[in-house]
Amino acid sequence: MVPPPLLDVQSQSSNGDALHPPPRSQKQMTKAERRELQERQRAAKAAKATTAAPNGVNGKHAGIKPGSSAAMSNAPSPRRASRASDAPTRPSSLSVSRPTRDSRVPQTPHPAPSSDKARGLRIFAHFGLPKPVSVAKGEIHPTIVRLALQFSNFKITGANARCIATLIAFKQVIQDYTTPPNNTLSRHLMTHLSPQISHLVAARPMSVTMGNAIRQLKLEISGSDIDLPEQDAKDALCHKIDHYIRDRIIIADQVIRDTAVSKIKDGDVILTYARSSVVEKVLLGAHEEGRCFSVIVVDSRPMLEGKKLLSILASAGIQCTYLLLPALGSIINEVSTVLIGAHSIHSNGAVFSRAGSALVAMMAKQHSVPVVVCCETYKFSEGVQLDSFTKNELAPIGSMFSSDRHARSQDASAFQNQPNLEVLNPLYDLTPPSCITAVVTEVGVIPPNSMSSIPLALGRF
Amino acid sequence: MDFDESSTKLIPPEFLAVVLAGFGNEQVLLPLTGNYGDEPSPKALLPIANKPMLEYPLIWIEQSGIRGTPYSETSFTTPYTSDASSAFPTLRIDLQTYDESQGLSVGTCTILRHYAHRIQRDFVLLPCDFVPAPSFSLTQVLNKFRTESTYDGAIATACFFEGRRPDKSSSTDEWGALPTPIPIVWDERTGTLLHIETPDDIDRNGEEMELRMSLLTRYPRARLSATLHDSHVYVFRRQVLDALQQKSRFDSLREEFVPWLCKPQYQRSKQEKYGRVLSPSTNTLTQGIALRHSTLHSKSPGHHDTEEDFLRSPPSDGQNEEHSRSVNPLLIDGEDDDEALDSLRVGLVVLRANTEYAARANNLHGYLELNRHFLSQTVYSLPTDPESRSLIDHKAQISSDSMIGHSTKVEERTSIKKSIIGKHCVIGKMVRITGCVVHDHCVIADGAKLDGCILGKGTKVGEKAELTRCVTQCGYEVSAGENTRNEKLDVSDWAAAPESSEENEDEEGSEEDSE
Repeated sequence: MVPPPLLDVQSQSSNGDALHPPPRSQKQMTKAERRELQERQRAAKAAKATTAAPNGVNGKHAGIKPGSSAAMSNAPSPRRASRASDAPTRPSSLSVSRPTRDSRVPQTPHPAPSSDKARGLRIFAHFGLPKPVSVAKGEIHPTIVRLALQFSNFKITGANARCIATLIAFKQVIQDYTTPPNNTLSRHLMTHLSPQISHLVAARPMSVTMGNAIRQLKLEISGSDIDLPEQDAKDALCHKIDHYIRDRIIIADQVIRDTAVSKIKDGDVILTYARSSVVEKVLLGAHEEGRCFSVIVVDSRPMLEGKKLLSILASAGIQCTYLLLPALGSIINEVSTVLIGAHSIHSNGAVFSRAGSALVAMMAKQHSVPVVVCCETYKFSEGVQLDSFTKNELAPIGSMFSSDRHARSQDASAFQNQPNLEVLNPLYDLTPPSCITAVVTEVGVIPPNSMSSIPLALGRF
Repeated sequence: MDFDESSTKLIPPEFLAVVLAGFGNEQVLLPLTGNYGDEPSPKALLPIANKPMLEYPLIWIEQSGIRGTPYSETSFTTPYTSDASSAFPTLRIDLQTYDESQGLSVGTCTILRHYAHRIQRDFVLLPCDFVPAPSFSLTQVLNKFRTESTYDGAIATACFFEGRRPDKSSSTDEWGALPTPIPIVWDERTGTLLHIETPDDIDRNGEEMELRMSLLTRYPRARLSATLHDSHVYVFRRQVLDALQQKSRFDSLREEFVPWLCKPQYQRSKQEKYGRVLSPSTNTLTQGIALRHSTLHSKSPGHHDTEEDFLRSPPSDGQNEEHSRSVNPLLIDGEDDDEALDSLRVGLVVLRANTEYAARANNLHGYLELNRHFLSQTVYSLPTDPESRSLIDHKAQISSDSMIGHSTKVEERTSIKKSIIGKHCVIGKMVRITGCVVHDHCVIADGAKLDGCILGKGTKVGEKAELTRCVTQCGYEVSAGENTRNEKLDVSDWAAAPESSEENEDEEGSEEDSE
């Protein structure tokens, strides 16, 4: 039709004025030539967009599946994905190798990421993966250094365990502390503890239990008497820590155990998910009391904590069944009660627990099985949480969970070397209050709607 | 008013680093470590790539953040220590000398026993001759120790590395046989060192390797390897010294004590005997209650009820190995202190050869190899110092993979290839030096040819002498025209002849044992 306009035009403009070939060539082109140029440019742009688009569509699907919260509908999640994609920070260490995102992303009408490698992690991009703990020289107490290593290597897991470990480590730190001259313990000890706390948080994000305990500890420190000699003040603080552990965890667990055991009748089939220290105590306690019941342990990867619970219950002599989460639907009809533990419980009654427990609760609700959450009052968090996207934690990939011996050494390398594969392991999810029947605490059995009223008053003693 | 409120006062130091800087096995590194006149020439100060050997472990310690006080156990005083203290301001270096008495060769265990009362916390034991790979940090070994000693009561962590195959042509058998690495058994998944063959075992039964069944029951997927060398870097808990005091007949750390230390983790008789010593109940760093509540931790029955072993479901995938330690079950109230018999494991960090090069310079081959390795890392350029520059003749041919110390004089038409020359040397005309390590203050006269030699400090090489793969003692004089191959030349006739030769033999006490 028309000879290719651009190049010929440019070669024709040979009078040496090389500064303005493009505008002149546009003017010299006919209208058809200009349209052809435009078409070509648009085709190039569309080609670039389509190479990104299939990846974007895949990313959308991949991003939705791990969002395991049952209450999420699909409509908010694409919007949320695009909102997450607008997040400016990419703290994940995996993002180093990714190309930088195009600035066109916010303007595209559908949430298609332009960089093809980014799709997997976009949905939790705002809290990325934990970084390896770097040893700050000299300012961090060795006990805290070791504890941070335990956390980051997932040797101590579970809300109760981490809180107890933190408090015991702080006891050691307080005992080794000496007040510098011209200072008081009540003021300086807190500044001394702050870098230790941030070191622990850098290893693994702080749990609600740890936060509550540390807040209480700071309250005690600031309230300590100025006139006390230093060793007495330190001993008093250590005693308070011991009492906190004893009253709000150990004895609370005993009360919960007694309350929950009374709800277990002979012939019950109890279902529990993953492993909670409280639920374990309840089940062992019920067995000691002589109740005759059986337990179904539901488990999920990558942590496979249910296996540990299974070995403990089985060695205690309780009849157990073990299955993985996808098989839940096939046995839910036989279950009489569901007992789950919690990482934290919020004032709207939502329970933040191991990823997968929301599914269990929702399924049980559908089949009219009562869902009982066993939770101490110190796990109460005053915020309101509506979903598990804003606050969550990703588990690092690696052999640290040592779940499957055949795949253990291949897992990490296989998953990390794939350019088109991102692995997401969120650790927590949110169970909405509508799925929960009752919450057993040491102050009583509470329906989830009234969470904000009672423990709030009692939790502040 | 003292504004220097160092927060380090509030933080107790965690580790103490102990560097053993003795003589090493005398047969192996002599004549390099022989006397230089009356002064001893310690192994720790032999230069690798023109830096004293001792500097490498000290730098390594400094990088890992240990502020403690490294001890150098030596039997002499050197001017180096004052340099060392200034060169490493963050380390507080405390030099301890251990006098050998009347030529008794002293083992490393004896020295540790001697100084045990000064070591009050967990400590890292390093040799002076280990050069670590640059990407391998001591923090890795320390982190493994920290994690494991708190988690399940490990008592030590060792570090083994895979050696590089030596170049056959570069060293000869006259220098001494290459040390064969000792077979070890370890569990890869948990990184536990299980068994080290000792020379006693080899003497007792040279053809077979005897392993306990309890070892294999606990760690069914253990691995056996004979290609790993011991780096002699150990991290120990304080209680290990108490156990060492009990075993007074042990002499060598590497050959006797560490293999023995691997045994209590699976051998019940030793566990019962030494369990209390190795993990006393006063150890306050336990997180027993927390571990009981931890969701990834499972109890195992205590070691006393092994008759119920068959009732316990066996660790199906072996996954329970790491997590099932003897912690009392959850129902027992938290007030009782856990008679947690710790696992008494010995951890292991294995450094693979494909990552980076690490080696020990405890024999002549290793020493030469290390020097060669550092040569391959650097590119030679003429010294910028004008005085040194002037000393090197422009007609001398110095290849780019050599190193020359400062103030060394090199005359014309000399060719130096693949060599390390120390400071203040005088090298004459038409000298050919290939693949050598020449220490400081040497004088090499015109026309000499050196190939693959190690010349000690202050060696004088006469005119037109030819030395191939020789090792000379400090201050040795090679006469002119001498042609020597594959020999260890040591000064047997000094001015003060008979006494000094006796002194040489007396000083040959070894403070660090050999392979």
